[in-house]
Amino acid sequence: MQKTGLAVWEPVEIPQKKCARWRFPQKNIWVERVESEWHVLSTPGTGKDDESSTSLIGRGQKPVSSFWKHYLHRGTGPLQPSPVLPDRPIVVRPDRSLTILPGQSTIFFLELPVWFKLSITGHQPARIFEEPLSALTRTWFGDPVTGELCWGLATRLHHSLDSVGLSAYIAVCPLMIENTSETDLGFEKICIHAENLSIFQGEERLWTNSLHAQFMGPEQSTQMEIVHTPPEFEPDLRLVSEARHPSTGWNIRRTFGVLKYFTDF
Amino acid sequence: MFIQQIMNWIHSLPPDILTKVLRVAITVVLGLFVVRLLAGLSRRYVMRKATPQRQMIVRKLITYVGYTLLIMAVLAELGVKLTALLGAAGIVGIAVGFASQTSVSNIISGLFLISEKPFAIGDVIQVGDTTGIIQSIDLLSIKIRTFDNLFVRIPNEKILSSSVTNITRFPIRRLDIVFQVDYGQDLGRVHEILREIARGNPWSLDEPEPVIMSSAFKESGIEIFFGLWFAKSDFVDVKNSIMRDITTRFAEHSIRFARPARVVTISGARESELIG
Repeated sequence: MQKTGLAVWEPVEIPQKKCARWRFPQKNIWVERVESEWHVLSTPGTGKDDESSTSLIGRGQKPVSSFWKHYLHRGTGPLQPSPVLPDRPIVVRPDRSLTILPGQSTIFFLELPVWFKLSITGHQPARIFEEPLSALTRTWFGDPVTGELCWGLATRLHHSLDSVGLSAYIAVCPLMIENTSETDLGFEKICIHAENLSIFQGEERLWTNSLHAQFMGPEQSTQMEIVHTPPEFEPDLRLVSEARHPSTGWNIRRTFGVLKYFTDF
Repeated sequence: MFIQQIMNWIHSLPPDILTKVLRVAITVVLGLFVVRLLAGLSRRYVMRKATPQRQMIVRKLITYVGYTLLIMAVLAELGVKLTALLGAAGIVGIAVGFASQTSVSNIISGLFLISEKPFAIGDVIQVGDTTGIIQSIDLLSIKIRTFDNLFVRIPNEKILSSSVTNITRFPIRRLDIVFQVDYGQDLGRVHEILREIARGNPWSLDEPEPVIMSSAFKESGIEIFFGLWFAKSDFVDVKNSIMRDITTRFAEHSIRFARPARVVTISGARESELIG
C-alpha cells in the first residue's frame, strides 16, 4: 500500500508486525507499535524525490538506529498525521527585493514549510510527536533586546498560483500587502506569525489563512489582519490543523523588517 | 506517666499564674498563626506580580515586624515594663549597630540591588572570576550555583561595588572567536569559508549577520575575528559545533592556522658555516 501527494495526511492503521513509513524529500519518518509503546524514528531524506508518500513495510525493513524514540500510550490508533505550522514566527525573505510604491497593493503566495504532527485517534486521543519536514534557519527579528527568535525562510515571491508547485509539505499563504502610506515600502522581509495561522486542506494544496498587511508609514506599526475563513483560491477546503495560538481581530505588530525604524540594525 | 506528672504540676500552680500561662500560650499560637497567614497572603495575593526578590523582602518584613510585636505582646502579658526595655534596647541597638556595620552595609546594598534589578533569580552572572546561576537574592547576600555545582555566597556590598556581567539578560548573544591564520593564506577564501560555516550551523542566527573581520597583522599571522549570533540557551551547542566546523573546514581547504614562528636570516654567512 502506498499513498502519495496529499494522501500522506490520511489516517493510517498499523497492523501487527508492520511499520509505517512517511517519506518526504528531506525527512523520513518511521512509526511502529510495540505493545503499549509507539516507536518513532526520523531520518534525513535523500532530498532527491519531490514526491511525498506513505507506506506500510515489514518490521525487518525498518532502519536499525539508536535514535528511535519511545512514547507510552495504550491507544491502538488509528494514527492521524497532520500538517502543522512551525512553532515560532517565520521571517520570510523574498528572493528579490521589491519596492511597493505608495497607494499600491498586491497579493503574494508564500510557500511555508509544514511540520509533521502525529496523533493517536480513538477514545483516548493524544499527540505523539512533531517533526520539521525541512530545515529552516534560525533568525532574529527586531532589535537585540526586544526582538523575537524566529525561523528564517528564503522563498520566491509568487504573484500567481500557477508558479506555485503542488506539494504535500508546503502550505500556501496568501498575503495581500497594501501600502497606504505616502512613502515607498521596500519589501525585503516580513515576519509571519505562523503560530496564529491554521492549515486547510484542499484537493491539490495545503493552505493557511489569508493575511492582509497594511503598511501605513515607517513611523506607524503595520496592521496585519488574519482572515479567519478558509482562503477562496480553492473550493471545499477543510480545516486540518488549528492555529497553535488562535488570534482574533487585528494584530498590530512590527511586521516589515526592511526599515531601520523597526529593527534598529 | 509523664503526662500525668505535667497535669499534676499544672494543677499545683496558683490560678492567676495558670491564667497567665494560658494567655501567653494563646497569644504565641495565635500570633504565629497570624504572622504566617499575613506572610502567605502577601505572597499569594498582594505581591503576586512582584519579582521573587520583592516578595522575599515583603515576606521577611512582615515576619520580622510580626515576631517583634508578638514578643512585645508576650512580654507585656508577663508584666515586663516595655518602656524600660525599649530604653535598654536602644542602648544595645547602638552597640550592636557599631558592631554590625558590615551587615547593615550589606542590607542597604541589598535594598539597592533589589530596586535597581541588575539581575533576577535564574540569570547567569559573572562577578570577578565567579560565573554561575543566581539561586537567591537575599538582604545580606546573593547565592549562586556555579557550573561545576559549587555554592557561592557573595555579599551584597561586594556586588554593588564591583562590576557584574549579566550574561543572560538579553535573549541573543554573540560568540566571538579570535584566531590567526598563517601569512600567505587567501583571506577572501577564509572569509567565504567562515560565512559558509555560519550559514550551515543549525544554532547560528542568520540575522543579525555574523561578523567576519581580518582584524590585525600579528607576529605569526593575520588575526581573524569571527562573531556569530545565537539564542542564549544554545551557547554550548554553538560553541562546540563552530569550533569543530572551523577545524574541519580549514583542514579540508588546507587553510593553516598561524603557529609561533621566526624567520632567521644571517647575512654573509657561508652555507658550510651554517651547516657546521
